[in-house]
Amino acid sequence: MRLARGRPAGAPPTPPGGGGRRKRVRRLGVALAYVPVVAYAAALLLPLYYVVISSFKTNQTIFLAPLEPPARLSFTAYGRAEALANLSGAIENSVLVSLGAELVALALSVLAAFGIARIPSRLSSVIEGLFGLGFLVPVMAVLVPTFLLAVFTGLLHSLLFLVLFYPATVLPLSIILLTQFMRTIPLEVEESATIDGATRLQVLRHIILPLSMPGLATIAILNIITFWNEYLFALILTDEGSRTVQVALPFLKEPQSVDFALLSAGIVITLVPVYAAYVVLQRRMQEALVAGAVKG
Amino acid sequence: MTTVASRAGRSRDTLALIALSAPALVWYGLFMVVPLLSMFYLSLLQWNSLVGAPHFTGLGNFSRLLGDPIFWVAVRNTAVHLLATLPIMIPTAFLLGYFLSRKPAGHRILSVIFFTPAIVSASARAMMFTGIYQQDGIINTFLRAVGLGEFSHAWLADPTTALWTIVAVDLWAGIGFTAVIFAAALSAIPEDIYEAARLDGARTWTIVWRIAFPMTRQFVGVMLMLQFLWLLLTSAQNVLLLTQGGPGSASMTLSYFLYDQAFVSTRVGYSQAIGVVLFAVGLAGTFVIRGIFRRADR
Repeated sequence: MRLARGRPAGAPPTPPGGGGRRKRVRRLGVALAYVPVVAYAAALLLPLYYVVISSFKTNQTIFLAPLEPPARLSFTAYGRAEALANLSGAIENSVLVSLGAELVALALSVLAAFGIARIPSRLSSVIEGLFGLGFLVPVMAVLVPTFLLAVFTGLLHSLLFLVLFYPATVLPLSIILLTQFMRTIPLEVEESATIDGATRLQVLRHIILPLSMPGLATIAILNIITFWNEYLFALILTDEGSRTVQVALPFLKEPQSVDFALLSAGIVITLVPVYAAYVVLQRRMQEALVAGAVKG
Repeated sequence: MTTVASRAGRSRDTLALIALSAPALVWYGLFMVVPLLSMFYLSLLQWNSLVGAPHFTGLGNFSRLLGDPIFWVAVRNTAVHLLATLPIMIPTAFLLGYFLSRKPAGHRILSVIFFTPAIVSASARAMMFTGIYQQDGIINTFLRAVGLGEFSHAWLADPTTALWTIVAVDLWAGIGFTAVIFAAALSAIPEDIYEAARLDGARTWTIVWRIAFPMTRQFVGVMLMLQFLWLLLTSAQNVLLLTQGGPGSASMTLSYFLYDQAFVSTRVGYSQAIGVVLFAVGLAGTFVIRGIFRRADR
């Protein structure tokens, strides 16, 4: 499903005459519709605001004036969060895992999609169908078997296992989206190169890949968010040294009392990379995630 | 035309296709298909600790599961979780999506806001809500401030509210995200259809239910199915991070029950029997939803 683009925004032409009263009623209706919409938007923003301001406050000021912005920025919570959960080490692990898994995922998907899209035959539609079926495999179902696989290969608690495992979770979506994208490139472009004696991999590298960049970017964004945000598998597959940032974050919560300044600082640290990317790439990320949700 | 050259060319094509797609196929098979199949096999084993040796019990785990009172609590909680979340999430998201698809003033900033929960990780979201639900968190502070102090609660620790805290988190995050997706589908409806209806004097409500909904009905079915599977299978994350299924087993869902049996009680075989049940429920639910949204389609 593609987002419809380029449709002129703004009000449709008003029907000629006679609609004065109804128009007024409708305008009132639209105004009223804003009330729940804005209320929900506020409900989404409030927790985020609460977390961000709390991360710069002390627990006492959080409790006394929960919604007031901090009078003085206090960075002590950040220091404590770093010291307590070794967040910088965890961020390093997350970066390594996300980038490593991304490289593997993109390499596998580009090759497979290139084959499926550019060598049309009965076999290629069978392979495409197999990856299509992959959408039906719930990742949660493989939680325990994957843990056992890590144990038996001796890769439990190593970052390498996550780098190898994560790509498998995104392969069907990446391959299907990329195949669709590569199909839109006209065959003639490729044919002229083949006549000039280019090998298949040269065609991929010099023609198909550059033309597929927008599709590849979409998938890359989608995948990196998935990898960065993944929690449950990282939780069971890592230990203290190989923890990712998502796994490290809940360690800031003490079982009995909640040190919310500390926790907030941790949340902000884990959210910043994704948010920074979101601000820069907002439109493209939204399209990627919508495409991903609908195909997945 | 089957000349020798073209046949050779075709088999070279086939070889190239196999060579290009083999790495992805092998990877997917090794990390997804084999583990999925082994879930079914493991469910037939009694294997209570990784150091001990497993032995075959056939359907023993399943009959034990049916006699396990916690399993039935988890079934009930899962049903409540789904039935409380989906009927609110999908219609609300559809209306919101329709609103956004009409491109009202501020729709762009609104869709950015609605989309933010989709990029917040499960772990960050749960920690955020830990702070919100806590004893001197923002909800209780608000209740006290408006004089409803007697309603303030230990939301996560009270058996009557624990499951509902999970429902609330899912609604918080799910509505906006689903709405943005609906908006994308709804903006594909040609503008003149709406205009024609308006000229015929149709009200907004009629347009939503008689035009927008029927035209995107299959799509709504797909989103309902995705959200159903998502909530059913991955509630373990939220439950683990917020309530650990407690107090007692007040917020134990099937998905968390699987996690709990596998990694807390280390009953590997038993946990995979729960996995098989979850898989079957997911499949059955998918078919029911598809059936409903196809039948009325005609």
